[in-house]
Amino acid sequence: MNVSTDTAERERIAIEAVELARNPGRPRTLQVIAEAFTEWTELRGDRLFGDDRAVVGGPALLGSRWVMVIGQEKGTDALSRAVHNFGMPHPEGYRKAQRLMRTAEKFGMPVVCLVDTPAAHAGIGAEERGQAWAIAQSLITMLELRVPVVSAVLSEGGSGGALALALADRVLALENAVYTVAPPETCAAILYRDAGQRARAAAALRPGVATAYDIGLVDELIPEPMPGAHAHASLCVAALRGALIRHLDELCAKDIDVVLEERTRRYRRAGDGVAAPA
Amino acid sequence: MDRPNLPVIGRRNAAHPLAAPGPKLRPVAPAGTVECRGCGRRFVAARFEKHLRVCPDCGRHAVVPALNRAVQLADSATLKVVRFEIGDRDPLGFDDGVPYPSRVAEARQRTKLQETFVVARAAMGTVPVVLACMDFGFLGGSLGSAAGEQFARACDLAVAEGRALVAVCTSGGARMQEGIASLAQMARCSAGVVAVARAGLPYISILTDPCFGGVTASFAAQADVILAEPHARIGFAGGRVIEQASHDRLPDGFQTSEFLLAHGMVDAVVDRGVLRETIVRLLIGFSARS
Repeated sequence: MNVSTDTAERERIAIEAVELARNPGRPRTLQVIAEAFTEWTELRGDRLFGDDRAVVGGPALLGSRWVMVIGQEKGTDALSRAVHNFGMPHPEGYRKAQRLMRTAEKFGMPVVCLVDTPAAHAGIGAEERGQAWAIAQSLITMLELRVPVVSAVLSEGGSGGALALALADRVLALENAVYTVAPPETCAAILYRDAGQRARAAAALRPGVATAYDIGLVDELIPEPMPGAHAHASLCVAALRGALIRHLDELCAKDIDVVLEERTRRYRRAGDGVAAPA
Repeated sequence: MDRPNLPVIGRRNAAHPLAAPGPKLRPVAPAGTVECRGCGRRFVAARFEKHLRVCPDCGRHAVVPALNRAVQLADSATLKVVRFEIGDRDPLGFDDGVPYPSRVAEARQRTKLQETFVVARAAMGTVPVVLACMDFGFLGGSLGSAAGEQFARACDLAVAEGRALVAVCTSGGARMQEGIASLAQMARCSAGVVAVARAGLPYISILTDPCFGGVTASFAAQADVILAEPHARIGFAGGRVIEQASHDRLPDGFQTSEFLLAHGMVDAVVDRGVLRETIVRLLIGFSARS
């Protein structure tokens, strides 16, 4: 095999992995809430401007523990995808998440975040209402929150728009998900000024969650059945549920000051790990 | 530009283990002539530098290299550049034709800087500060893991020595070549900001042209006071990305400092000529504890 076909092969594998993560049959946030949680009451609106349906959340029972579950919802068909804006939040979505986190903190409820977004929404209104400011405040809120936080990446975690729900004490990810600094299309537009070179960007970016696991940003990969979570979504949700409960059991047994100190120390070193060779 | 050589007040600890003495960095020396990119007028470079790189005719604020910026802001003879020992990073082994480490080496060669940030101890109106200035010339001011560590250590230094933090931000955003590790820097820098806030120290950020992506969406927007230079382009997503995604024509003045001021995102748009005194006034007010 010569060098150029080797490169082409690597790019094909990389972009196939991205496509697998984007399979519409993978479990979505509302499906996880429906199957893994009970007694959910959705709470809507950011109390400032509007209600962003790309982010859903509210208190629910996970096993025997009340938690605040907050997640990005991509939608499952043409209509719901439009309603949920393909899981791309506006500033209102992040501000809603912050509000729900503060409510959880007040009542001592752990927070569970379900990350499922290609990126934060890029648009005129989002910029006018301070997309960067909303994400920046979410990062501060999650660093300061005096209750345990567990996040899980379901399909795609892209850009600061994902990190704004993933700065947690424990970060889980379904094993075929991707977690990246930017979607390969955006990355190609930035690096090569050509979104069409997404395969080249994907091969270089190594977007799979295994990279985030190596670097230390993800703590546990949830195994998926072959050929992927879309084949047996409910099975995957059950595995995720077990892992969420296990991590919350561990975190809730600790003093909250210890949890906070560990969180601060962890993110002070964030990104110092090195990915295994490709 | 004459400033009295005032003593530094506050806790000083020159032998702090976080900070080795700085190398002999010199501000980029003005040579020859430069042209204003706004109106095309030509200046002797030294004179342009004296004008803080603001065109006296059209008022356009040109890009300022990080070290020159630190010199502009600090009380005269108080600036001490701090160099942190931070290892080289290449978390992904990124190679898309040019290996990432050689891109960094080239940027170092060209800018004479270690990384995106120039961090320095200084006094501003006698108030002790840590200055963290970004250099757009260093790979577009992008935020990689070494730059993130520089900013976090600047925060640690401010906390250890009881100094205010002043950050001058200019960046294209996260450094794509470090992939997910560069995304993590938003968290690392936020942790630094939280430490400064917990210590009760003031943090002022100055947004300069251009400032986008993960920098705006983390420490740039987390300050007690956020100032912006006139007509700077500031936002989360770039205008080109938004236009392509939304198929909308961008409104005039979209994502400028003035646009952000009108939408309540920045505290003030400040001309570079009065930036220093504005920061000094705020710092003195915040440290008065009267």
